[in-house]
Amino acid sequence: MYCHVAVVLQKVPTVSRKSERLVNLTIALLATKRWLTKSQIFAAVDGYEGEADATERMFERDKDDLRNLGISIEVGTFDPLFEDEVGYRIRPENYQTEITQLTPRQFSLISLASQAWHGAALNSTALSALIKLKSLGIDSDFDSIPSITPSVPHSDANFLPIINAIAQRQVISFSYFDSELEPQSRAIEPYGAGTKSGYWYVAGRDLDRKELRLFRLDRCDSEVKQQGKAGAYEIPEDFIMSELLKSPERAQIATIKVRRDKAHSLRARATSIVDDDDWSTIEIAFLRESELINDVLWHGADAVILEPQSAREAAIAALKEIVAAHG
Amino acid sequence: MLDLVPFITAHQGIGTAELASEFGISEEELLNDLNSLWMCGDNRFDLIDLQFDSGYVTIRNAETLNLIRSLTQQEIISILLGLDLIEKELPPDRSDLRNEIDSLRNSLGRGISRILDASPVHSGEIISIIKEGLSAHKKIRIIYFSPAGDEISDRVITPLALNSTDSREFLIAFCDQAQAQRTFRVDRIKSAQLLDLMSAPIPAETHSGQLAFSAEIHIGRQMRKSRESLGDYVNGTGAEVTVSGFNPQWLSRTVISAAGAMEVRASLELREQIAEEAAKTLNQYR
Repeated sequence: MYCHVAVVLQKVPTVSRKSERLVNLTIALLATKRWLTKSQIFAAVDGYEGEADATERMFERDKDDLRNLGISIEVGTFDPLFEDEVGYRIRPENYQTEITQLTPRQFSLISLASQAWHGAALNSTALSALIKLKSLGIDSDFDSIPSITPSVPHSDANFLPIINAIAQRQVISFSYFDSELEPQSRAIEPYGAGTKSGYWYVAGRDLDRKELRLFRLDRCDSEVKQQGKAGAYEIPEDFIMSELLKSPERAQIATIKVRRDKAHSLRARATSIVDDDDWSTIEIAFLRESELINDVLWHGADAVILEPQSAREAAIAALKEIVAAHG
Repeated sequence: MLDLVPFITAHQGIGTAELASEFGISEEELLNDLNSLWMCGDNRFDLIDLQFDSGYVTIRNAETLNLIRSLTQQEIISILLGLDLIEKELPPDRSDLRNEIDSLRNSLGRGISRILDASPVHSGEIISIIKEGLSAHKKIRIIYFSPAGDEISDRVITPLALNSTDSREFLIAFCDQAQAQRTFRVDRIKSAQLLDLMSAPIPAETHSGQLAFSAEIHIGRQMRKSRESLGDYVNGTGAEVTVSGFNPQWLSRTVISAAGAMEVRASLELREQIAEEAAKTLNQYR
């Protein structure tokens, strides 16, 4: 118990000393008009005392920490002939957001957009974006926006590494279930992410198959690992995620007989409905015959495929198989 | 901590409790941060002048840090995906808001915008109505579609809780018609309307959590598709699985819909039910 208290007491000052040092380092690098050398930094910023080796390591870690916060530190030399003497600085124009003006409506839209992550993976990320934009001091105008509560679909632990990899242009690898549930290992350059019908997808160039592929996140059978260097590839200019997730054109038309007041989900898809006494004849568009059969068979004796003939025959064969297997 | 400076500058005199809640941290954590920040500054000139002992925070002499930091890629991604969801739910006559969203995409970055695409799975308008019902203790009227029963029903319900499990949102509510607690999948609520009826006291939950059936199933082909159609009700790996659920009709429809990819091995009762339904369907093709 004593031991535990001692650890806690020691930890608090260390943490705040570190964050103070990071803030001071940021101030020093932001305020300077010229490059600052390491020795100048160590002299000007509190907290870089002690042995040279330890100080160096501390400085390297601090630079990484600031970069992870999205702050870009520039490295330059004073004299092109003597490259050993490097200097550091943060350009205010890189540090500062380019967004300087938002209308109250735009601000309210962003605020609403951040609520989509309530309880989800990027909740704190969306919140920190919102805090930054609130610092612009803009009034909100929620009254002019319809009452909508957006929410992103649930995602699993693989979501964050994928988003990070996309942001950093970094290759990811994972194991993925094929259509027979056999795990396959995949390595892709992730290009984009999105949702459709409540599932998250990642699109990217499959490095083995050498083509663009789409993966559903909940079909990953392993942790998604980021590998290799950041900035390893470029996302092609013509890549558009929404094009990839768009439902393909349902080119074929089927004619189905459905019982009165039944088969609601098929009726909802119908392009034409002709009512008779006990049955209606409807037309629906479909993409794959196998999916059409699944959708119609769901309704059992309340729906019958009339056309196309091949789908009708396949449904009959499937039903015979089911009767034989269960009889 | 860096983001505190521009935020306080824009909101001079903000209360510590409010500031902490804006940043999603406890007041204690905030005071720690403010104490550290107070010690910061360029020691060749002046320290940051931060006052907060009165419970209200003001800041001066922090010009260097008084810059709103650029949004990180992750932050931009989170906002753009949220905007996508909003845009797809705007009524057709709100081109004004569509234009605002479009110009936001420009400011946040076209390059990132094009690699993202989110679509809502259920109506955000319906969620808003449910939430209003929950907070105002009012009843709502819903049109609900149940695929297992192939029914569209019109119900008056008292919302009790909104749960999200896996990829779907569920509404737990007391249904006036059934006089019992029911669970509704939000994406199957076709429309909702807030009623001006206060919710009556809900009778204690009658125990209906009993699973109604348990089946042993052999998956012969299309393993992934079959498993996904069985959803959360499936247990076990490989071709032999156990499925337990509430509605045997749902199981029968799922197995027949699989077009022969699945076979129920037990129980006998379920096998007979499926054979009978399949034979009845086959009759319709004669």
